[in-house]
Amino acid sequence: MAAKNINHMEFQNLMEGSQPVLVDFWAPWCSYCRRIGPAYEKVAEQYGEEMVVAKVNIDDEPRLAEKEMIEVIPTLVLYRDGKAIGSIVAPESKAMIDGFIREALGK
Amino acid sequence: MKRVYDMVIIGGGPAGYAAALYAARAGLKTVVLEKLSAGGQMALTSQIDNYPGFEEGIDGFELAERMQRQAERFGAESQLAEVTALRLETAVKEIETSEGTFYGKTVVISTGAGPRELGVPGEKALVGRGVNYCAACDGMFYKGKTVVVVGGGNSAAADAMLLSRVAGRVILVHRRDTLRATKIYHEPLLNTPNVEFRWNSTVTELLHSGKVTGVKVRDVNSGEESVISCDGVFVSIGRAPATALVKGQLELDPSGYILADESTKTSIPGVFAVGDVRTKVLRQVVTAVADGAVAVHYAEEYLNSLW
Repeated sequence: MAAKNINHMEFQNLMEGSQPVLVDFWAPWCSYCRRIGPAYEKVAEQYGEEMVVAKVNIDDEPRLAEKEMIEVIPTLVLYRDGKAIGSIVAPESKAMIDGFIREALGK
Repeated sequence: MKRVYDMVIIGGGPAGYAAALYAARAGLKTVVLEKLSAGGQMALTSQIDNYPGFEEGIDGFELAERMQRQAERFGAESQLAEVTALRLETAVKEIETSEGTFYGKTVVISTGAGPRELGVPGEKALVGRGVNYCAACDGMFYKGKTVVVVGGGNSAAADAMLLSRVAGRVILVHRRDTLRATKIYHEPLLNTPNVEFRWNSTVTELLHSGKVTGVKVRDVNSGEESVISCDGVFVSIGRAPATALVKGQLELDPSGYILADESTKTSIPGVFAVGDVRTKVLRQVVTAVADGAVAVHYAEEYLNSLW
């Protein structure tokens, strides 16, 4: 399953759902966001059954980015029961994203 | 099942994928281990104008994906795997990764280079919270704010110029009393009203309360220390090779680059160093891809003599 771009309404709905939600806050002008793209798609494929893997374009959703206190992109945030349980900024590798997810879910 | 390859390539930048292309076309069983996505530093360059064949220039990320697909067309494999340890001395070399162990009769190191760090306490923890290495990527977050640029070379000068258009105030901190940057960068920068200079100064400390609030700088002549309040720091002091994995196994030069001449042969037979990670005069996409082709030539020679 490919990572889905969502808006603030969809974000709100997902926050009320029962599954954990992983969000990649990104923007089209951010070159490093693009670099993590292939790894993030792999994450979506790999974890798609146990969580929702989504993306938010902060240019389209500036208010949501501000509300979630995103100051640097790419930032990945993992939410459970509507709350952020962990975040990682500009991960250097797919392995680092895997480690982040495992650690955040283990909490 | 043991995954044994004729060639294991570590790093999927232009040098790595050029090696993969030549190796696959030579009939070698080849895998590229890449931790994030193809292209390395090239993938962060939006316009490459000096790679022949693209008269309008080409986006680095796209060029990287094309190089990957081209190598894969001839049978090279790609794995999203981060290498954690190497054993290079044995005939069949062992490569431990986040996705298990790979074995290679030959190994090509194409791990590239990345931004050099300041080397002050707390720097790593403050990345993304005020410490930045890419003005083009992160500059937009400092609209109207005060930023410090560390460095005096061409990239520091270009970063300061770019940031002067976004930030309210830019302070360039450089350890010498003049820019090392090419002359075309000097004057425009000196004449930009919101750019200031702190010559003969080095950053000794990052001040923060969760996020960067300032830097402590030392005057290299007087030894006097002072504080510059700022919202962000852009570190632009050159590049460093990614050679942590091979330290102690391969011979390195004093700056940490792998010692290998134009043959790309390293101090261990069957191990080759290509691209920016190798000692070389000119680090460019064209010289990187040339290295990849040369490495395969000598790898074939090595394989024929041994196996």
